[in-house]
Amino acid sequence: MIPNHPFLCFITDEIRHPVEQARQALGGGASMIQLRHKSASGEQLYRWSVEIRDICRKSHAIFMVNDRVDIAIAADADGVHIGQQDLPAAEARKLLGSSKILGVSVSSPREAVDAENESADYVGFGHIFPTSSKEKHTVPTGPDAIGSITQAVKIPVVAIGGINLENAHLPIAAGASGIAVIAAISRAEDPEAAAGKLVSLLELNRLR
Amino acid sequence: MTMKTIQIAAESHTDATVEPSRSSLPRLCIVSSGREPDSSGTMLLELMEKLPATLPCIVQIREKQLAAASLLNLSRRVKAMGEASRALIVLNERIDIAAAAGLSGVHLPESGCPPDKLSRLRHNMLIGKSAHSLESALDADMLGADYLIFGPVFDTPSKRRYGSPQGLDKLEAVCHAVGVPVFAIGGVTTENAKRCLSAGAHGVAALSLFYDNDNVSGILTNLQRVLYR
Repeated sequence: MIPNHPFLCFITDEIRHPVEQARQALGGGASMIQLRHKSASGEQLYRWSVEIRDICRKSHAIFMVNDRVDIAIAADADGVHIGQQDLPAAEARKLLGSSKILGVSVSSPREAVDAENESADYVGFGHIFPTSSKEKHTVPTGPDAIGSITQAVKIPVVAIGGINLENAHLPIAAGASGIAVIAAISRAEDPEAAAGKLVSLLELNRLR
Repeated sequence: MTMKTIQIAAESHTDATVEPSRSSLPRLCIVSSGREPDSSGTMLLELMEKLPATLPCIVQIREKQLAAASLLNLSRRVKAMGEASRALIVLNERIDIAAAAGLSGVHLPESGCPPDKLSRLRHNMLIGKSAHSLESALDADMLGADYLIFGPVFDTPSKRRYGSPQGLDKLEAVCHAVGVPVFAIGGVTTENAKRCLSAGAHGVAALSLFYDNDNVSGILTNLQRVLYR
């Protein structure tokens, strides 16, 4: 289940080995790992998924596969995270069944409401801050925009985009249920320590 | 391995549940160009319009450049077109999208998700798999693929980067080693298709033959004559 306290989701990058990245993020206390790799083969994705699923289970963390509903079901992941160009949420839900977690990336309250109506369990919203991880053609929303999403839907809102140790408290203060990061962990000198610091920061915000 | 009964998704013919065993699969597999700019599928639909009503075939949608949402829309369009003909529509790689669109099956690349891991999504869908070696053909057969596409058998511009063609001898070895129908791919023409069948292939699969040619109808007619002589 999705944690009911501010949580950290780590999304793998395509540079280093995804299983190793996941292991480090989990070591630091991440609650959710999302395998995102657009260029890997189906067989490779399947094998990585099985490995990451197992280490996530040991850490009581959630394992999500990006875009590939087929791989998520084949590897018995906890769920799928889809974007607006992927399978429609309603179709993904039909294939996944009711027990799996479905996350949907949204960029507006309207998309968030649609996702909720199509049985998404949470929405990812961003990008909050400037980011280099994905090529973005729009300006960052800023943390204040999170309120427009949390007001529109009842499901958790996970903030994404340019979140790091310096700014991670802002989306949480603005009402986000969690944060999702790539570079803040994957490009850190010590990824596990970076994940640990982000988790501590989220816990501090929880106590506030 | 038991012959699997394949129910073809064809909602338009309510009671006409077609039950081809693997050996009664169509003998022709048309692979889409990989050049569709969007989900409208103009090139593929244009080609399908030329399919003779009497020629059964597998149409494989292979448009890796399109995102999942576009592939779903394209699949639905091609499926609607396929219902007018005798085509079985399969989608490359993504069984999830194929299932959402109600297609007849999925075609897995050699490096695709292992077929035996797809049982929860498979239901009665066909699973095809590409193989470029005897070893991978045997693997695919063992893991439950319904048919294989083996190649490149002959020289073809689209496959030159994968090295020299496999030739008819390797095709023959694969056809004899596996228990499922094998389609020969790579440089197949109306002239050499018969040699593929003689080597034990169930049928042929082609892409360039249909897209880089002015006389598609003529080719289809000739192929039909060779494949169903």
